[in-house]
Amino acid sequence: MDTSHIRNFCIVAHIDHGKSTLADRLLELTHAVADRDMRAQYLDRMDLERERGITIKAQAVRLTHGGYELNLIDTPGHVDFTYEVSRSLEACEGAILLVDAAQGLEAQTLANFHLARDAGLVIVPALNKIDLPAAEPDQRAKELADLLDRDPDDILRISAKTGEGVEDLLKAVIDQVPPPTGETDAALRALVFDSMFDPYRGVITYVRVQEGELPSGARIRLMATGAESDAEEAGVMAPEPLPVDTLGPGEVGYLVTGLKDVHLAKVGDTITLAGKGAATEPLPGYREPKPMVWSGLFPNEGGDYSELREALDRLKLSDSALSYEPETSQALGFGFRAGFLGLLHMDIVKERLEREFDLELIATAPNVEFHVIRGDETVVVHNPAEMPVPGTYDRVEEPIVFATVITPKEYLGAVLDLCQSRRGELVDTTFLTPERAEVHYMLPLAEIVFDFFDHLKSSTRGYASLDYEPWGYQESDVVRVDVLLHGEPVDAFSTIVHRSKAYAYGKKMTERLRELIPRQLFDVAIQAAIGSKIIARETVKAKRKDVLAKCYGGDITRKRKLLEEQKRGKARLRKVGRVDVPQEAFIAALRADAGAKKK
Amino acid sequence: MSASPETAGIYVHVPFCLTRCGYCDFNAYAGLDHLASRYVAALLREAELAAPDWEGVGVVSAFLGGGTPTTLEVADLKALLAHVRSVFSVTPDAEVTIEANPDTVDEQKLAGLLEAGYGRLSMGVQSFDRSVLAALERVHQPESVTKAFRAARAAGYDNVNIDLIYGAAGETLESWGRTLEEAVALSPAHISAYALTIEPATALGRQVARGDVPAPDPDLEADMFEAACRLLGEAGYGHYEVSNWARPGYECRHNLGYWERRPYVGLGAGAHGYRDGLRSWNVRPPEEYLSMVERGELPVGGSEELEPADAYLEEVFLRLRILQGIPASWVDDGREEPYVESGLLVRDDGHLVPTERGMLLLNELVLGLTS
Repeated sequence: MDTSHIRNFCIVAHIDHGKSTLADRLLELTHAVADRDMRAQYLDRMDLERERGITIKAQAVRLTHGGYELNLIDTPGHVDFTYEVSRSLEACEGAILLVDAAQGLEAQTLANFHLARDAGLVIVPALNKIDLPAAEPDQRAKELADLLDRDPDDILRISAKTGEGVEDLLKAVIDQVPPPTGETDAALRALVFDSMFDPYRGVITYVRVQEGELPSGARIRLMATGAESDAEEAGVMAPEPLPVDTLGPGEVGYLVTGLKDVHLAKVGDTITLAGKGAATEPLPGYREPKPMVWSGLFPNEGGDYSELREALDRLKLSDSALSYEPETSQALGFGFRAGFLGLLHMDIVKERLEREFDLELIATAPNVEFHVIRGDETVVVHNPAEMPVPGTYDRVEEPIVFATVITPKEYLGAVLDLCQSRRGELVDTTFLTPERAEVHYMLPLAEIVFDFFDHLKSSTRGYASLDYEPWGYQESDVVRVDVLLHGEPVDAFSTIVHRSKAYAYGKKMTERLRELIPRQLFDVAIQAAIGSKIIARETVKAKRKDVLAKCYGGDITRKRKLLEEQKRGKARLRKVGRVDVPQEAFIAALRADAGAKKK
Repeated sequence: MSASPETAGIYVHVPFCLTRCGYCDFNAYAGLDHLASRYVAALLREAELAAPDWEGVGVVSAFLGGGTPTTLEVADLKALLAHVRSVFSVTPDAEVTIEANPDTVDEQKLAGLLEAGYGRLSMGVQSFDRSVLAALERVHQPESVTKAFRAARAAGYDNVNIDLIYGAAGETLESWGRTLEEAVALSPAHISAYALTIEPATALGRQVARGDVPAPDPDLEADMFEAACRLLGEAGYGHYEVSNWARPGYECRHNLGYWERRPYVGLGAGAHGYRDGLRSWNVRPPEEYLSMVERGELPVGGSEELEPADAYLEEVFLRLRILQGIPASWVDDGREEPYVESGLLVRDDGHLVPTERGMLLLNELVLGLTS
């Protein structure tokens, strides 16, 4: 296909702003799906239905309209996946910026918009849901026009639900988004913008050919990993998978690579031909996935470590960002310390482990990666257990993010208070409209992974939205807080927090454990400590009474069974020093901290 | 275990009550009094059916419990005991106890019972505190206790037990102290004092589960136990089982049989029996019991053969309840050491015996020594 008739674009939108409905209308308008096969949320449902079969996602859908080849490319919609988003954007020349005419811009949309503009994409702005009674198209158009530095009249107004204005939008995409460029006879360079593992077909990558030609069945080479393979099939999603002979310059499609390990074909890598005709330089911008958040994963009581290991090994086949190493906890047994791109990624992995592998998991409170500096040596710590005791190092650095919060103005005070209480440093506040503020903060990532979303949502009645991007490391007065039972540290509760939060953490954990630790035959001290300094203490008083009051002829069998029950319960207890603790107590104490939720 | 001839006890269950108390999970029913005469006849019949197996075994104790046995007529109770004596080899000096509620007896009835051979009387007093009695849903008043006790004395009883319960909602340590003092003032031969136990399948159990009534505070119950030990000890009662005190020589022989794992026969609805590692029990519903016995069948509802491990656990937890304790040789080397050191057990002539504090933590001791 002549590249002048190709348009590659994506839709940048917040959740529920109508991306899937717009995609439905585009499928209809371009007759990509026969009327009798059409159903709502067509592309999303393809993914769901394919969960049980071959998993070729509708990651890039080819539409044809008026002699043009239109590739609609999906972008992941979350802050954890900024890098993946940036790679998807690299596959496009344009982006529809779709905004709910009632809700207005959200932080994440704004962040992705900035990414799109930085990537040089032409932005086609549109207000959706103009048919809603609550829609404020004039106000929202002004908000968007200010952002884009354009005339409010340039902002298209559509209803993806009724179809109003959708054809004009498609026309605008064709008119405004430039065609791709790229020489057919150059050496092949194709960008991998998504990659997945299918149990039947192995690793499937989604690619954008920048230059050269990618024939079906070519011997390919992944330039970052060096992996070579005989590709099985090139094709496009139309929207059902459709094999093609060749993907040419500017084209977007899938490639069944013939590889069996997704780590060999990561997002951002460049595919070229193996041997003669190979490109010498990869496409710019490849980055290794970098875990930002760590958590201990352990099988629940009675769960099986080897099952967890097998599940993680299998999950890793389809998730190149997941990393883990074995970890042993005295309180929780054998498990793994796993690294994630962010909290959402962590939740996704946990949910997949539980749902797809039928495991019950215990996760320790998430933590970030700290850099402990001693002289010219830097030790990377992503497990509180590895944190050295105070006095044995020069300083510690913690990761900082640049955070964007968009909030209605009446909650601005609450947002500032929250960010301030999380050791944030205000960068600036601007107003998108007189009603909506955009706040920028430098925040320690550690503060965000710890129930920040929940607090943001509850203090703004759900109206504020958040996005953040890594901003490097900064010296910080963080300390490791240990929790001790009768003098013995409980590893699962050790954490690294800023000194100003250490007492609050210690107090909270000791109070919580006082309620959860059963009474023993002796007083049990529950202490929180920084090094050898005790910062909080609670006591579980010794048990005084545990006896069956009555035991006569008719009671003996029942009472013996009660004792046997108690005996089985005792056998399940874990020993921390002299203290017997049911695993449920550890889990309950950890669960109460599982407050950090996805947006 | 001993070379002496086998002896046994007989327990007879009478499942009738005037009202059902909220805390009680015994096999007892209010409003079934119309079955009384059929029931007595069935007891006689069951005794006949059961007796052949116990030929030559000296019955050294009998215990009529319930329910409220004294809801039955004296004549019936007399006939019942006479029949038991005629079909079993009851020894002349056998201890024969009958349970009574203060409101179901007067001097005349009590005299009748004594004359019929019920030489020991066990009175369900529970408390001398009106509000505690109300919390336990007991219908009697403190005055009827004193009255019934005086009637027993007047009828000629010297071997009387008083049952007390502590730890009901609202009861304080002071109030419990007064109940103990009132009990001691009557000078009974024997006092049982039980910590209130919340049984799930009772009205009270449901109230506690719902949060309508607070569960007993174990620390307060521990204080109350210690108060009982002190006050009863000072009054000359020996503490011979977790919940039982007696003047010397008045320990309940029948109940000691349970704790020493001597054989016993159970007669009546839901009654349990035990012999040679076999524990069996009768069907619980009175009607079912009646129809089985009336058909001439032994009304067995179930049984279990104790495995050696079960038997060992039982032996330990029952014997630790009484001051005899267990031979030190029963316990794996060293297991008892931490408990001896922390003052929960004492070594006494090769036996391990719980201290007062140890009695309060008996479950811990049993589990620690056997697991």
